[in-house]
Amino acid sequence: MSNAALQVARTGLDAQNAKMRVIANNLANVNTTGFKRDRAQFQTLAYQQIVQKGAPSDQQNQFATGLSFGTGVEVAGTARIETQGSLQTTGNALDIAIEGPGYFQLQMPDGSVGFTRSGNFTMTAQGQIVNSEGLPLFPQIQVPQGVTGITIGTDGIVSATQAGQAEATQLGQIEIANFINAAGLQPAGNNMLLQTGASGPPLVGAGGIEGRGTLRQGSLEGSNVNIVEELVNMIETQRAYEVNSKMISATDEMLQFANQNM
Amino acid sequence: MDKMVRTSMRAMQGIMNRQTAIANNMANASTTGFRGEIVRAQSLYVNGDGLDSRATVKEYVLDADMNPGPIKSTGRPLDIAMQGDALLAVQSPGGEEAYTRRGDLQLTESGLVTTGDGHPVMGQAGPLILPAADQISIADDGGVWIVPPGGDPLQPQQIDRLKITSPQGSEIVKHNDTLFHVREGGVLPGDPDARLTTGALEDSNVNMSLALVDMIETSRAWEAQIKLITAAQEIDESSARIMQMPS
Repeated sequence: MSNAALQVARTGLDAQNAKMRVIANNLANVNTTGFKRDRAQFQTLAYQQIVQKGAPSDQQNQFATGLSFGTGVEVAGTARIETQGSLQTTGNALDIAIEGPGYFQLQMPDGSVGFTRSGNFTMTAQGQIVNSEGLPLFPQIQVPQGVTGITIGTDGIVSATQAGQAEATQLGQIEIANFINAAGLQPAGNNMLLQTGASGPPLVGAGGIEGRGTLRQGSLEGSNVNIVEELVNMIETQRAYEVNSKMISATDEMLQFANQNM
Repeated sequence: MDKMVRTSMRAMQGIMNRQTAIANNMANASTTGFRGEIVRAQSLYVNGDGLDSRATVKEYVLDADMNPGPIKSTGRPLDIAMQGDALLAVQSPGGEEAYTRRGDLQLTESGLVTTGDGHPVMGQAGPLILPAADQISIADDGGVWIVPPGGDPLQPQQIDRLKITSPQGSEIVKHNDTLFHVREGGVLPGDPDARLTTGALEDSNVNMSLALVDMIETSRAWEAQIKLITAAQEIDESSARIMQMPS
C-alpha cells in the first residue's frame, strides 16, 4: 500500500538531506584555498493529472487547472557560486591569487588539462612550478638553478633574477583560462575542475585582458564560503526537514486511526 | 446500506488529497520561486427525486497562492527576483510562452539562458541567447548588458531585454508544468514598468506554520469522518437487530 502524502513528504526529507550535505561540504571547505561554494537547487517533481483542464466541473463551470497533485521535490543539481573569495596576503613568491574570473591550468597525470582557482604553488627539486598535489603548470615553467627571486606580473609573465645579473630574465607566462559558462565545469576533487560540454572550450591567454582576471603574487584566494550564511541555511534546512517528518507522522496517525477504528 | 457511509468515504478521499497537497507544499518549502498550492473543496449534489439532502465533496488543487515569497540576497549576478507581482516569461516544455517567479538563471554551452529548472528564458523576440561575453549583467528593468570579448569593461552593451510581464488584467493559472499560463491561452504583453532585483532570489512562499496548522486540521477532519462511518455502522447494526426474530 502506498500513500501519496507519505511519499511526497519522503521526497521532502530526501531533498533537505541532500541540501544539508551541500551545506556540510561548504562548511568543511571554509579554509580551502580557492574553494567556491555550492548551492543546492530544488525543483518540483512531476504533477499527476487527475482531471483534465477544461473538463466541466458542473453545468456552469469548468476546471481551470485540472485536478493535479504535485508529487514532491527533488534536487535538480548544485550550482557553483563563482563570486570572488577574499584575498589573503602571504608574502610567499609562489602564492598567486586570481583577481576576477579565470583559472590556472594544470597538467593532469593523464595528460589532459585541469583547471583550478587554488594558487598555492611550490617548486620541485628540478625547478618546475607545481601545485600542492605536484601537478605542473600548463604550459610548464622551468626555473633555472641559482635564482634569487621570482617575480610574477599581473599578466602572468614570470621573470627571475639570478645571482650576479642585474637584468631579470623572462622564464615564461602563466596562462589563464576563462569559460563562457564557468558554472558548467565539473568538480574533480583536489580543488580541480574539468572542462565539460556545458562549460565550453577554455579561452586561454594572458591575465588582465579579454575579461580574464589579473594575477596577484604573494596572495592566496580564500574560499567564498560565508559561515553565517551557511549556518542560517543549515537552520532553515533543519526546520524544513522537521516539518516534513511531522507530515509523515501525521499521515501515519491518520492511517493508524482508520485501521484501528473502522 | 446507508448512503452516509458513501458520503463519508468521498470526504475521506478528498481529505487525503488535501493532505497530499499540503505535503507537496511542505516538500517545496525551499524551492526557489515556488508558489504554494491551494486546495478547494466543492460540493457535488446528486440530483434526483426528493430532497437534495446529500452532497458529496471533491477536493482539488484549484489555484496557487500568489503572495510574494521572501527575497534573499545571493550576490550572484544571474540571480534575479521579480518585484511586486511581475512574472518572468519562459518557454514551456509545450513550446508556448509561460510565466514563472523563478529567477536563478543559468547559461548553457550554446549561450541559451534557462531558469534553474531548465526552461528557456524569453527575451524581446523569442528565447534569449547570449553571445560569448567577458561579463554579463542584468539591469533592474530586465535589460541584459554584456561586455563583448576584449571589450572595454566600462562600456557594456545592451543586447536584449528579458521579457517581464505583469499579470494585471488577465487571469493566470498554474499548469502541471509548474509554470503559469494565461487562463484562456495567449500571451501577456511585456510590462515596461516591471522591475527586478538582481543578485537576489525569491524563496518559496509556503508559510510553514500555516501548513502545519492545516496538516493538523486535516488529520482531525479525517478522524471525524471515521467517527461518522463507525456511527453509521452502529445505526445499521441496531436497525438490523430490531428486525431480528427473537430467539
